Amino acid sequence: MQTAHTEVSSTTVLHLEGISKSFPGVKALNNMAIELRLGEIHAVCGENGAGKSTLMKLITGVYRPDSGTMSLNGAPLVVHNPNDAYAKGIAIIFQETSLFPELTVLENIFMGHEVLRPLLGGLAFLPVLDYPTMRAQAKEIFSRLGMDLDLDARVADLGVATKQMVEIAKALSFDSSILILDEPTAALTSREVATLFDTIGKLKAHGVSMLYISHRLDEIFQIADRVTVIRDGEHVHTEDVIKVTRDQLVSWMVGRTLHNLYPKEDVEIGEVVFEARDIRQEGKLGGVDLSLRRGEILGLSGLAGSGRTELALALAGLTERDSGEILIDGKPATFRDYRGAMARGIVYISEDRQKYGLVVPMSVSENITLPLLHRISGLAGIINRGKEGTISDRYIADLSIKTPGGDFVVNNLSGGNQQKVSVAKALAMEPRILILDEPTRGVDVGAKSEIHRIICALARSGKSIIMISSDLPEILGMSDRVIVMKGGLKVGELSRAELSQEKILELAL
Amino acid sequence: MSGKRKVSREAILGILVVAFMAFLALTSNFDSKSGIYSMMLDVSPSIVGAIAMSMVIITGNIDISAGTILGFVAFAAGSLAELGAPAWIFIPAGILMGICLAGLNGWISVTFKVPSIVVTLAMNMVHLGFYATFLPNAGWVENLKDNFTWLGRGRFFDLVPYIFVIALLVAVLFMYIMKNTSFGKSLYAVGGNRQAAIYAGINPDRTVIKVYLVEGLLLGVAGILKATTANEIMPSAFQGREMIFISAAVVGGVSILGGGGKVLGAVFGAFLVYLLSIAMIYLGFQDYFQFSLQGIIVLIAVFVTVTDFTELRKKLRGTFTRAGRARKARA
Repeated sequence: MQTAHTEVSSTTVLHLEGISKSFPGVKALNNMAIELRLGEIHAVCGENGAGKSTLMKLITGVYRPDSGTMSLNGAPLVVHNPNDAYAKGIAIIFQETSLFPELTVLENIFMGHEVLRPLLGGLAFLPVLDYPTMRAQAKEIFSRLGMDLDLDARVADLGVATKQMVEIAKALSFDSSILILDEPTAALTSREVATLFDTIGKLKAHGVSMLYISHRLDEIFQIADRVTVIRDGEHVHTEDVIKVTRDQLVSWMVGRTLHNLYPKEDVEIGEVVFEARDIRQEGKLGGVDLSLRRGEILGLSGLAGSGRTELALALAGLTERDSGEILIDGKPATFRDYRGAMARGIVYISEDRQKYGLVVPMSVSENITLPLLHRISGLAGIINRGKEGTISDRYIADLSIKTPGGDFVVNNLSGGNQQKVSVAKALAMEPRILILDEPTRGVDVGAKSEIHRIICALARSGKSIIMISSDLPEILGMSDRVIVMKGGLKVGELSRAELSQEKILELAL
Repeated sequence: MSGKRKVSREAILGILVVAFMAFLALTSNFDSKSGIYSMMLDVSPSIVGAIAMSMVIITGNIDISAGTILGFVAFAAGSLAELGAPAWIFIPAGILMGICLAGLNGWISVTFKVPSIVVTLAMNMVHLGFYATFLPNAGWVENLKDNFTWLGRGRFFDLVPYIFVIALLVAVLFMYIMKNTSFGKSLYAVGGNRQAAIYAGINPDRTVIKVYLVEGLLLGVAGILKATTANEIMPSAFQGREMIFISAAVVGGVSILGGGGKVLGAVFGAFLVYLLSIAMIYLGFQDYFQFSLQGIIVLIAVFVTVTDFTELRKKLRGTFTRAGRARKARA
């Protein structure tokens, strides 16, 4: 394992200053700065949505900054696209794989920048692939990485860690002097992580400078020389890793003070209505227990990819669990799919309302009554439009959905109102247990507090709620109890009295 | 790293083709001179068409109008030959026809962002209507003379058709192109992982247009190979050929989802599809039932190339045993 934190060189290779980038409705980066020095491993950390990925995408030309300057080895840097970045010696290893599963390792490494030779001596206008040269170069790269890989193996047949090595080899085939690793260990086992760190150490020894994005603090202390913390799109701190403590990092990442703008009221909490025991799903959930009481709001916290959504889907029968038991009112529930879960009063509202929640080209009332078709349709399945209207009008009024009418197409509503339609649709099923996945993602502040008010009202009326959220203040402000997930496991449970941002992050990181 | 080496899919297909031929030779008079000759004659246009279709499928697209494009190619080449044009005129003319029509498909699909299956299905119908309405005598060309049919009827050693040799040369050329040129690699990239292709500096739209142009060129060749074997041409009779090409590609291991497959596989696929139809004739199946069987074969082929077997095994685990079912019910 590489733990040697060598003296950081003072030569700057990549320098970003005053970088801002906005997307419609969001300021992703604001006056951001970062400086990468020769041969250092520079960690970048921050909460979900702090702007890490946007920053990397600016450096590699996926996005262009709205303002600010970038320079490479002292010269101004303009990157048009990822390939252009490669050509300039900057390579990124994306979180999502960028490999071609049906092709071989060798073909993958040189895709888009194949080594060419003329078909025959003078026929320079007929370029064909120069396999011997590519093979030799690939061999040389792998030997530099200290590995021996079958260059003709099909990538689809390789393990996740090996695929990552191919990605790294691909990056190196451009003679990259700067390597950006975006959460490279997210999908790796601890042994594979050790191999990766070993590789990173070798690259560092060869003078490659690296930006290492991770929210696993342990890793940062293990391999990084310096660390930069980003919060809400802004640069917070850059420091030598040996000079900081874990607590300091966490406090930089959290930083903000919590304003109590949440309308959470104390509701009498009743008996346990829902219980899950040892829920397992291969590679996703490693045995999770939870219980939920009447009138309770249970917050589900954790970083992206920690298994929150996977747990919610399994609880609602939307994905099949490998093992585990679900009890409703103390009796085993045998439902096997979402239809069965709905019949037992469990309703899940997806974080991605456009994709899973709503049929956007349909009207508000059609969406709200979609799960109730059997109840509002008469003989031969003909829909009773009167009933449809009565039901939807009630929820439109209850949730104060701002729409010109029930027959208005959902697509034309604002994000907040779409979310309310999504909630209305769930409520129309008259659930006892409501699972809300990121209920306020992408809605404006006004709509957000209205949705919070609705959630509280639901709890008061005796419904039990599981709320997944990446927004820590929301979790803190709304929950009676919080479960923190990490790597598919429940790593902590905090009562309302024990709650604090630091505690949740401490558990989640 | 990876220990065991798998036998390539193409090798298995090759063995299958040989075994199939041996089986037919033993059980029928397939191995007669005329049997072998008709196979080579019939399979040649399918080989070229299957290669064309495979390249399109590898990019994640398809061409349902390939059959009707062949009709236009045959009509263009045949009409010129009827007017007395020699091969060096009617061959390029036919190929140009193929390039224009297939290129139009690609251009429409990319420019208006319409999935290629919709574009080419529509074009298939447009072509058919066009034949009947605008072509003289619905495109029927009769009494073609030697200046046209010498190509399709000529043979080496009184056995091997010229067109078979041409088809094999095309196959070798495209095997080389797919493996040894940036163009070939870009087709796999676009069909395999479009986003990653963009990150690798490949323009997917331009690649798709290019692949349709090349497909058109090959359809031009296939159309001429097919047309010159007869002394009359009826364009609408070519409709349905695309299904043979698609079957051959899919049976040959080209992934219908895009991103995977080899030219050699498609060539063997073309043989297999032909041998299958011949076998069914020998076995005495009625004409139309052949379609059903061929359809089932394609279904199986797609299933084999597309299915993730570890996932399926996991899903089916226990389904077929009583204990397994009980365990599932408990869970």
